[in-house]
Amino acid sequence: MDNAKDWFGYDSLAFFGKVNASISHELKNVMAIISETAGLLGDLSEMARGGKPIDPEMLTSSTDSIVEEIQRGFSTIRQMNRFAHSVDTPVLSVDLMDILDLVRNLFEYLSFAGKTNLHTGEGTAAMAQTCPFILQAIIYQAVVQTFQHAGPGAQLDISVQSKNESTWQILLDGVSLKDGEVFPDDRITRMALSIGVSISYDRGSDRLAIDVPVSIGFVKGNGAAG
Amino acid sequence: MKVMLVDDEQKFAQMLAKRLALRGIQADVYFSGEKALESVQQGNRFDVAVLDVKMPGIGGIELKRSLQALDEQMKFAFLTGHGSKMDYEAGSHEAENYLPKPLQIDVLIETLNRLVGGPPGASDIDG
Repeated sequence: MDNAKDWFGYDSLAFFGKVNASISHELKNVMAIISETAGLLGDLSEMARGGKPIDPEMLTSSTDSIVEEIQRGFSTIRQMNRFAHSVDTPVLSVDLMDILDLVRNLFEYLSFAGKTNLHTGEGTAAMAQTCPFILQAIIYQAVVQTFQHAGPGAQLDISVQSKNESTWQILLDGVSLKDGEVFPDDRITRMALSIGVSISYDRGSDRLAIDVPVSIGFVKGNGAAG
Repeated sequence: MKVMLVDDEQKFAQMLAKRLALRGIQADVYFSGEKALESVQQGNRFDVAVLDVKMPGIGGIELKRSLQALDEQMKFAFLTGHGSKMDYEAGSHEAENYLPKPLQIDVLIETLNRLVGGPPGASDIDG
């Protein structure tokens, strides 16, 4: 895996930037709510100083709101931290459900994201030796395209099943693309090939299947070697 | 002054409406562009619309065009959590009244007053 770091080229960087932009937007919203709530508390204090009656319920709901937003902020930072560390090791053995859980959390920060259901499989964990960062990028882009087209009312069901002894299959049901739009495009195809992943989309059933080798074993012409 | 406040961040919009109410400004809150548009289509009238630029569905810039078609007198200000003012204006020529989040309430009030031709400032709390 001497050339593994070459996988993290511009396409990967673009994905990293896009996710960080959506996280920063989420954090800014959290800060904006805390700021307005603190402002309201300041308004109430000023009223009290002026001898005007204030509703104690407004104080309670304001402090509750600040606590809720701080928790939301911490939760967002936790996901940001998970995502940041996903580039630490180019290839490692991971539970695919962990990757899907992180990606689901990440795209919930998109303003146009719809609902996603992550279905946990039965039996053994879906362990694969792969590049989690690139796999995240592929799944994320599929979801972004779906919600950009179908809007926040759309719903996606995500699951993992064993296709055969050497392959896990991640299924995204409800993937909806515009007429004439393709998935994967050249950029995603390059990324998928680099980690031995194959992608197929059935427009009739709105199902996207992502085949992930249990062990990354080959890459030809994309900078990585098995 | 009657204000329409549209932001998909519900708590933010509600807090802001409460703060405006304390200053004697009535703000009706909508959590989507679609609901705001529906309200004006049903005959509700507002002096100023304060619109979040980035919302699911109809965003603030598109919403402004639709609202303006229904009510030519309505004035507009925009809320955004993205980037700098320069970045934003580079992407849109619609943002003549740009209010970055987190907001300063005095700046918002001054903007509202300017838009409706009222006195500058005047952000004291009524209680």
